[in-house]
Amino acid sequence: MSTAPEPTPAVAVENLSKVFKAGLGKRAFVAVRDLSLTVREGEVYGLIGPNGCGKSTTMKTVLGLLAPTRGRTAIFGRSSTEVASRQAVGFLPENPYFYKHLNGLETLLFYGRLCGLAGAELRDRAREMLSLTGLEDAADRRVAGYSKGMLQRLGLAQALLHRPRLVVLDEPTAGVDPAGSRKIRDLILGFREQGLTVLVTSHLLEQMQEVCDRVGIMAHGRMMREGRVDELIAVENQTELVLRDASPELLAGIRELVERDGRAALVRSGQPRTTLESLFLEATEEKP
Amino acid sequence: MTSYRAFSPARIWTLATATVTQLLRMKILIFLLAFCALVVAAGFAFPVLNPEQQLKLLKDVSFGALQVFSLVIAIVATALLLPRDLEDRTLYTILSKPVPRHEYLLGKLLGVLLLIGAGLLLMDLAFSAVLWLREKLLLAQIIQALEAKTPEAVAQLQEIVGKQGLNWGLHLGVLAVFWKAAVVAALALMISCFASSTLFTVVVTFCVVIIGHGQGLIREYFLQGGTLAEPVKKLLSALLAIVTPDLGVFDVVDNVINGEAVGLGAALAMSGTALLYLTGYAVVSHLLFVEKEL
Ligand SMILES: Nc1ncnc2c1ncn2[C@@H]1O[C@H](COP(=O)(O)OP(=O)(O)O)[C@@H](O)[C@H]1O
Ligand SMILES: [Mg+2]
Repeated sequence: MSTAPEPTPAVAVENLSKVFKAGLGKRAFVAVRDLSLTVREGEVYGLIGPNGCGKSTTMKTVLGLLAPTRGRTAIFGRSSTEVASRQAVGFLPENPYFYKHLNGLETLLFYGRLCGLAGAELRDRAREMLSLTGLEDAADRRVAGYSKGMLQRLGLAQALLHRPRLVVLDEPTAGVDPAGSRKIRDLILGFREQGLTVLVTSHLLEQMQEVCDRVGIMAHGRMMREGRVDELIAVENQTELVLRDASPELLAGIRELVERDGRAALVRSGQPRTTLESLFLEATEEKP
Repeated sequence: MTSYRAFSPARIWTLATATVTQLLRMKILIFLLAFCALVVAAGFAFPVLNPEQQLKLLKDVSFGALQVFSLVIAIVATALLLPRDLEDRTLYTILSKPVPRHEYLLGKLLGVLLLIGAGLLLMDLAFSAVLWLREKLLLAQIIQALEAKTPEAVAQLQEIVGKQGLNWGLHLGVLAVFWKAAVVAALALMISCFASSTLFTVVVTFCVVIIGHGQGLIREYFLQGGTLAEPVKKLLSALLAIVTPDLGVFDVVDNVINGEAVGLGAALAMSGTALLYLTGYAVVSHLLFVEKEL
């Protein structure tokens, strides 16, 4: 029996380390240490971790904006150092900002031309992206007057313009009001349905829980935990009784009660499972 | 998804035109209006001077303003470009598209050159028009004052005044101003690739420009006489030419103002030198920028 060859991952990060050299007399800063992760095609992967743990640094390296100190990163099998690797990816940076003298439509036309789109095709595509992100009404307003949420959505429109197979989103919902954040999450869920691969960072955990297939938890530049969200956390239709110093007789009594109920079933007993939030806190407080 | 092309003039053009609009929104056009006002004022002020001096003054003032306009834009506007994009994080979105870094730099440089070129062209037109008008008016005045009637006398006067009037040499002078500004812009872009602040870029470029203007003098003073051995002099002279551009090459403006003809050969040599410097600075800029951590 032969195993099928591994399909090319959408994103491959192998033993990535990133050291920022400081000025004279200051110590160099290690932002990412020996990090490895793969994002498979078609999945939504969430990278979570406290501020300053190296999430954005990892993403910038994947996009070739930063050069790795050690290790390598690749997009669909092409090294991030090749400009051509960026043809297949759309990037929404943290707190995106655009030329403030352009309006929403002009901004998209500018980025579209950089991706090699032109003419009527580009115009149609830009309009389509504006309506997808709900910015039609703001299309001819200067970007300088956009709110945080609108900038974030324009950033998404810009990232999707050239029909990439992978979208990389850095803190897409940070600083956005709940309604705006809901809209952005719905868009991400839509990407998953269309088969797009998504790599997203956030420090907002419930939101990640909802949209991600897999998550990696980073702290101090390292990967602390990684896995499927549903494996990492408990299932919601279960209730836990956490008892301290329970006697075997008490446990037996509880089992009996459950059996008599008929509807409920005892799934397991033992150590309690955790929520993503407590896992996060626990994982990131561990000393590296 | 369209396929990726390693070199795309369309992308460079997109970046260049975006740079032009970006700079125009910084209200650079006010410079042009101020220039036109200055030229008109210089053209019609000082009626007490003799006609030749009046025309010379007009040219002096105009070329002075042209130089200031082009150098200020070349230094200040260029120095702003990269830090602006980095601060606004537009650099992230641009470079995360399939845009090679050298195309980004070329686009920025081309944008500045387009703006300076277009600005100089407009100023050249305004200045030529005023000069031409002034020349005709002065000639008419003189003819009237001297009561020159014979065609020979008129032709003679025409020649004297025409020498200070509008001629092709003046446009070559404007070309020289453009090339000088282009070299300085490329230099400023190169410095801004590693500078930590806009102010640093502006100050350093400014200093290099001053040294660049005095290169001929420096060479004469320190390297001609002196006690240094010949190879050492050669080496120092070459080093000076590499570190700072020899901007003296572009100073044909004085000749032009004095009504001396600038030959086509000189213009070509000047253009060649400018292109050489532009290429050199662009290559070094690329080497610096391609390694830059964003
Ligand atoms: N260009 C840089 N130079 C020096 N240090 C940097 C640079 N960029 C990021 N860092 C540092 O690297 C660490 C990780 O940053 P980042 O990846 O932005 O974290 P986050 O997980 O919040 O996105 C931070 O401590 C930050 O200060
Ligand atoms: Mg970040």
